[in-house]
Amino acid sequence: MKPISRRSFLERSGTGMAAAAAIPALEVPTFQSQPQPAEERGREVHLKVNGKDHRVKVEDHWTLVEVLRDHLGLTGTRVGCDRGECGACTVLLDGKSLYACSYLAVWADGKEISTVEGLAEGDQLDPLQEAFIEHDGPQCGFCTSGQLMSAKALLNQNPNPTEEEARQALAGNICRCSNFNRYLEAVLATSGKGSSRG
Amino acid sequence: MVEELKTVGHSTPRIDGLQRVTGRATYSADVQLPDMLYARVLRSPHPHARILGIDVARALAAPGVKAILTHENCRLVWSSGDRVNKRYLFNNPVRFVGDAVAAVAATNRHLAEEALKLIQVEYQPLDFVLDAEEALQPGAVEIHPGGNLSPIISFRTTGPGERAPSTYVRGDLEKGFAASDFVFEDRYVSKHVNNAQMEPRVALAHWEGDKLTVWTPTQGISNCHRDIARDMNLALEKVRVVCQYMGGGFGNKNQCQDSDLMAAQLAKETGRPVKLELSRKEDFVCVHGRWATSQNYKVGVLKDGTLQAIQMRGYSAMGPYRKGSGGISGVEYFRCPNVKTEVYAAYTNTAVSANFRGPPYPQGVFGIASILDDISHELKIDPVDFYLKNVTRKYRDSIPYTSSGLLECIRQGAEWFEWKKRRHPAGSQQGPIKTGIGLAAGGFGASVGRSSAVLRLDSDGRLWLHVGVTDIGTGAKTTMALIAAEAMGIDLDKVQVISGDTDRTPYSVGESGSRTTSHTGYAIVEAAKDLKQQLAASGPPQGDEVLIAEATPSPSLEGMVRYSFAVHFVEVEVDTELGGVRVLKYVAVHDSGRIINPLTAASQVQGGVIQGLGMALHEELLYDENTGIPLNPGYYGARVMTHVDVPNVEVHFVETEDAYGPFGAKAVGEPPIVPVVGALSNAVFNAIGIRIKELPITRDKIIGALS
Repeated sequence: MKPISRRSFLERSGTGMAAAAAIPALEVPTFQSQPQPAEERGREVHLKVNGKDHRVKVEDHWTLVEVLRDHLGLTGTRVGCDRGECGACTVLLDGKSLYACSYLAVWADGKEISTVEGLAEGDQLDPLQEAFIEHDGPQCGFCTSGQLMSAKALLNQNPNPTEEEARQALAGNICRCSNFNRYLEAVLATSGKGSSRG
Repeated sequence: MVEELKTVGHSTPRIDGLQRVTGRATYSADVQLPDMLYARVLRSPHPHARILGIDVARALAAPGVKAILTHENCRLVWSSGDRVNKRYLFNNPVRFVGDAVAAVAATNRHLAEEALKLIQVEYQPLDFVLDAEEALQPGAVEIHPGGNLSPIISFRTTGPGERAPSTYVRGDLEKGFAASDFVFEDRYVSKHVNNAQMEPRVALAHWEGDKLTVWTPTQGISNCHRDIARDMNLALEKVRVVCQYMGGGFGNKNQCQDSDLMAAQLAKETGRPVKLELSRKEDFVCVHGRWATSQNYKVGVLKDGTLQAIQMRGYSAMGPYRKGSGGISGVEYFRCPNVKTEVYAAYTNTAVSANFRGPPYPQGVFGIASILDDISHELKIDPVDFYLKNVTRKYRDSIPYTSSGLLECIRQGAEWFEWKKRRHPAGSQQGPIKTGIGLAAGGFGASVGRSSAVLRLDSDGRLWLHVGVTDIGTGAKTTMALIAAEAMGIDLDKVQVISGDTDRTPYSVGESGSRTTSHTGYAIVEAAKDLKQQLAASGPPQGDEVLIAEATPSPSLEGMVRYSFAVHFVEVEVDTELGGVRVLKYVAVHDSGRIINPLTAASQVQGGVIQGLGMALHEELLYDENTGIPLNPGYYGARVMTHVDVPNVEVHFVETEDAYGPFGAKAVGEPPIVPVVGALSNAVFNAIGIRIKELPITRDKIIGALS
C-alpha cells in the first residue's frame, strides 16, 4: 500500500478552497456555516463537550444531538434515523457510548460528552482515525463518526477486544455501504495501540 | 494481466479520508444559514384517496409558521418524479401512503412538525391495489387513466409511450423447446427493498436575488441542476447545486428529489433560506426502493446441459409513479439460441420503485440462477461446468464484448474457493446443521459516453481538477485524482479536486450506472493530453500564469458492448431446526478491467456483497393488505445487515485489458450486488435440498419448507 502522510491530508484540506478562489474566472463565494442561536424560552444546561464548557438554553424536548449540531455547531455527529436504530449519532457520555438522538439534552446537564470533533488533538489523529483511513473504513462516511465513537468506547473499556467483542460493540452502528469488514479490521488493528486517550 | 502504471493501480487511501474521520466533512444537512427556516411534509395516510378539501388556516396561524404549500396553491411539476405521467409536487388524488399533501416552513423543526398536525385534510378513500399481477387483472382500480400497465420506457423516455410489456426476442422459442431433451418451469418472487443509505434526504434552498442555490445530496449535480431549473422555470445560470459530501444513495439520489423543489418554493415565498429534512421513515416510504417482482421461467436444455430455449414472463410493481425501468435481467448472461423475455411494469399503490444498485439484476439473477441451478442438479452436472458451458461469449449471442474475463473469473474463482473440495450433492448431509455451496455470475454495463473535465496547472505545479462528480462513497474523488496524476505524470499530492458544485465544475454524467470512472475519468485523460501538448509548446506556467485544458469527449464503442463481470461463490450453514442461515465463506471474483484504486474498489465489492446478502436473507418492505400501510419502514424493521451478521468477503480482481475507458478501467460500483442473491439461493438449496422461491430467505420460509 502506498502511504499518504497525515500532513499531506491536512495540507490538501486546508488549501482547497482558498487557492481555487484565487483564480478569478472560477471564483465563487463559499457559504459560512452558522450555528443556530438557542431559543429564549427553555432552561439552561451545562454541557462539557470535548473538554469545553457550554451553557446552553434548551427546551425540554430537544435531543442531545440537535443541541450538539444545531446549537453548538458540532455537525460531525450525524443523524441517520433520529430514532435509535442506526448509530450514526453515537457520542460518549461520561465515557460510555450513547445514541445522542435518543437522549434529551436536559438529561446531559452536568455530564461530559465526547464527539468525533474531540478525537484528534490538534493535528494528531487518534490511532482509530488513522486506522479508519488506512483500512478504508468510511465509504460515504455518514456512519463513520458513530463507528469511531463506539469503537472508542470499546477500546476505552477493553483495549484488546476479540473479534467477537468488537463486532458486538459495533453492532448498533449500521453502515449501509456495508463496509463492515473494513471497520472491523481497523478497530482490531488499533487494539492494543493505546488508543485510549480521553 | 494489465501493464503496471505509476499511480493508477496502487492502493491509495481516500484523499478526503481526513475529513471523513474527523467529522469535518460537510454534508448537506450540516449547512446552516442565518434566518434559516425548517420545513416538514404532511403525507397521505391512505394508499389511494381523493382530497376533497384542505384547511390550512389553523396551521398558518400557529407559532413560527411562515408558509404552507398544498396542491391548491402550488402546481409545480416534479418532472424527474415520473417519466411518463405528470407528477406534481402535491398530487390529488394521492396514490400511496406517503404521497406528499402539504409542506410547512417554520422557524424551527418542532414548530413545523406541530403545524402539520393542525392541517385538516378531508379524504375520500378509493380502492387500491398493492400487487403488480393483481393490478393488471380486469376490474382492478385504475391508478392512472388507461389502466395499470405502465408504458415501455427507455433510458431517455419522458412522456407517454406504448403500453405493452417490455419484450426481447431472439430465435424461435417453440422450436427451441421442441429441440430440448428436458423443459423446466418455475416461478420466483422478489420483494421491495430499500436503498436505506445512511444520509436521509435533505434540501437547503437559498435565494440571492433571482439566483437559487440548493444544497442537496445528489448523485448527479448536473442532472439535478437541469431538473431544478426546468421545474422551477429558471435559466440554468440561475441555479446552483452544491453537494460536497453525501452519505450514500445507491440509486435513490440520481434525480432531483421533490424536497429540493419544495424547499426552493418555500424559500421563494418566505424570502428566507429553507431546510427541508426527510425523516428516516419518509426516506424509506417516500423516496424509492427496488421494485418487487414475480418471474415465471420456462427453460429447455439438452441432456448435456446445453441451453436451447429460455422464456421469462415477469411482473414488476413500480408504485404509482414511473421513475424506474422495472426491468428483470439476468437471462442475458447466458448463451442460448432461443430467448423471449417479457416484463410487465405495473402501477401499484405502494412506495415508488426505481433505481437501487444494479437496478434490474439482483432479483433477475435470483430467478435465472435458481432455475439453472435446479437444472444442473437434475442433470447431475457440476454447476461450475454448467456455467463454463453456458455463460455468455457475446452480448445476446451476437455483439462482441470489448473484453471479457468471465470465464477466467469462473475458473479462477472455483480454485480460490476450493469448489471441488467443498462440494457435495444437494441435501445430502445428515444432522441439524447443514452446509451448502453455490455460485452465480453476472455483469453490468461499463458504458462509455460524454462527460467533461477541466484541468488547470499553476506555476507551483499544482493541478486543479474540476469535475462535476459528487462522491457518493465510491471514492470517486480519489479515483479522479489518481487518473489525473497518472495522465499528467505527476504526484498525487499535486492534484486538487474541485467537485460537487455546478458553479465550479463542468458537466458530469453523475454517480449512477457505474459510469463515473469510464466517462468522467476518460474526460480527464483527454484533457490531460491537451494540457501536455500545451506544456510541450509553451513550457510550464510562470508567476500568475495558468494553463487550462478542457475536454468533453463522447466516445462510442462501434458495434461492441462493454461489460464488467462478477462471479460469486458462497458457502452457508443452515440451521434446519431454527431456520437461520450463516455465511461461512464468500469469494467474489470480478473483471472490472484495470482497477484504478484496489483499496476502494475492494471496499465497493465487499459492501455490494453484504447489501446483497441483506436482500437475500432479511429485507422486505411489508404492507398491511387491508390498509395499504407499510409496516416496517426503518432500519430495525428492514433488518439490514449489521456488524454481527456479516461474513468476511474475499475479493479478487481478474484485470482484463480493455481498449476503452481511462487506462482500461471498467465499471466497479454496481456489479458486486448483481450475483449475490442468486449465489446465496443456490447455496441454501445445496444445503437443504429444497429451493426457497420467494425472497427474503427467512427462518420461517426455511422451517416451513423443511416441515
